[in-house]
Amino acid sequence: MLGVLLGGIYAIVSVGLTVIFGVMDVVNIAHSAFVAVGMYTVWVVSRQGLSPFLGLPVAAVLLFVAGVAIQRSSIAPLIDERQSSRLLVTIAFSIVIIAAIEATFGPTPRNLDLDLGSIAVGGVYVIRGQLYALVVATVAFAGVWVFLHRTHTGRAIRGTADSRVNAAYAGVDVERIDALTFGLGAGLAGLAGGLVTFVQPFDPYLGNTYLTIAFVVVVLGGLGSIPGTAVGGLVVGLLHVFGSYYLPGTYYKVLILVVFVALLVFRPTGLFGGKSHE
Amino acid sequence: MSDHENRASRVLKQVRVAVAALRALGERWYATPVLWVCGFALLAVLPQALSVRVFGVGLGTIMSLQALILALLWATAAQSWNLVSGFAGQFSLGHAAFFGLGAYIPLVLASEFGVSPWLGLLAGAVVAAAYGLCLGGLTFRYDISGSYFVLVTLAFAELLFFLFVNVDAVGGASGVVKPLPDAYGARFGLVAFQFRERLPYYYVVLAFLAVVTLVSLVLQRSQTGLYLHAIRDDEDAARAVGIPTVRYKLFALGLSAFFTAWAGTFWAMYFPSIRPRVVFGVLVNIDIVLPAAIGGIGTVAGPIVGAFALEVISEAGRRAVDFPELQDVIGGVVLLVVVLKSPGGLVSLPGKATALLDRLTGERRSVWDRDSSRTKED
Repeated sequence: MLGVLLGGIYAIVSVGLTVIFGVMDVVNIAHSAFVAVGMYTVWVVSRQGLSPFLGLPVAAVLLFVAGVAIQRSSIAPLIDERQSSRLLVTIAFSIVIIAAIEATFGPTPRNLDLDLGSIAVGGVYVIRGQLYALVVATVAFAGVWVFLHRTHTGRAIRGTADSRVNAAYAGVDVERIDALTFGLGAGLAGLAGGLVTFVQPFDPYLGNTYLTIAFVVVVLGGLGSIPGTAVGGLVVGLLHVFGSYYLPGTYYKVLILVVFVALLVFRPTGLFGGKSHE
Repeated sequence: MSDHENRASRVLKQVRVAVAALRALGERWYATPVLWVCGFALLAVLPQALSVRVFGVGLGTIMSLQALILALLWATAAQSWNLVSGFAGQFSLGHAAFFGLGAYIPLVLASEFGVSPWLGLLAGAVVAAAYGLCLGGLTFRYDISGSYFVLVTLAFAELLFFLFVNVDAVGGASGVVKPLPDAYGARFGLVAFQFRERLPYYYVVLAFLAVVTLVSLVLQRSQTGLYLHAIRDDEDAARAVGIPTVRYKLFALGLSAFFTAWAGTFWAMYFPSIRPRVVFGVLVNIDIVLPAAIGGIGTVAGPIVGAFALEVISEAGRRAVDFPELQDVIGGVVLLVVVLKSPGGLVSLPGKATALLDRLTGERRSVWDRDSSRTKED
């Protein structure tokens, strides 16, 4: 059960990455910063005496707007440049945003002051807050899938992921799709950050810790594949739980990365590889 | 035409003549070695210049020896990174792996087995190169490049980070403390790679940078360098004309890892202790990339210029306001401005300036300018 819970968190943290990565071929290093912004947004909202659940949509909308702004101002001009220059832009934003958070809130770990009690699910006691986080994550996941597969805009996004040129010929406003995709990815990162606060204490650097794992999930599931990301997250979540049970210390993180490397050797296209954008 | 305009155009003409003369000088065969020797001579006297004061204002008021040493250190690391990521175009975000191996291996060898850090330097570099070859063997074999290569290199660095956090034999998360020279039967001095003062460290790291720079210069002008550039510009085409691309990329990565480890060793011998987060962490990857990205990826001067620009700006910022995060913000903002406004990095600015000058004086752009402003199209 804990594996599923962690898997859900890992998956929701990764889904924003995979959307951006799949459509724009941008390795979004700033993702960790977006996650951190999400965490502190929820925290600030909960400090106002409001329910932290109210903070989740606030974080998502805030980061959607920020994501669109960043894409329009800094990534759109570089879309025809080498991939590395877009990477560098996201690194720059990552540095600035995390430093700004650190300056505002300080480096000390924070805790969401939330106690909803526990609930028994199938004979296992689960902390309610964490369970709700999992539910929200699942709903968000389903929402993204429906959006990408059942709406016109979602189809346009997937079309752009498959081929920018062909999508443009078919009448898709590729630049608008780019902005929308980056906003969507950032918003999902914000939501994920908010959900993380329900599960564990956080500090400005927690996003960085999640970043590598999120990349592993993305590659594990196959690039740009939403169901793949869910499965990838679940696999990593289970590795986390079983790894930390059988191995001392934080060796489970080594285990996750070793599995990742092994996967590269034996199945470089990811578990759901091949047609990556389905 | 008014007198005023006349004078302006005359000044422009004179500047242009001077630039043309400089350019002619720059085309001589001895220009590059002379320029680099002068550059390094300048760096060698820089610490002395810190205490010189002109009208009560000296370099020392905006720079410290510590900052200069760090600038040279990151320049060395970025210069090494540039070998594979600039020359061969394989953008790595995992050079902290090599940096960390270079830091840990000599220190552990020295404190546990009494091995001289200089031998440790070599051992660390060899292990780092081997790790690089493993990484490259796995990735290049499957044609992994671009974004995927970024991810894989990052994962390889993080793998070592989590490993070293957990292995208690090397101190776990709290790391290793630098042993005193007695531990390996030496005294403070060059042989021990430990000094009581800062200044000798400066010259050691300057020597490291000189070696890596020399290697870069030679490589850039060699056939291997040409092949690496061909791979960067169009790998399929390079393969089609018969360049064994995998082998050349492996060579670049191995060489790059080898020298990045040197920077790591220097770090370990300069600071009192090392911890996994400090030498293997995600931020180290970024610290290594930043100077090259700001100075100019794929150029030899770029990493050095970038490292000094960053260090000067952040040191000045540090002294102006006591606000530790400001340094990060400055680094990020500078990077953003450079990537957006001048994708060739700071070193591309003189070329652009002369091109602008040519336009102002109404001359046709020469071949030389087209060459120097070409970076964007390739």
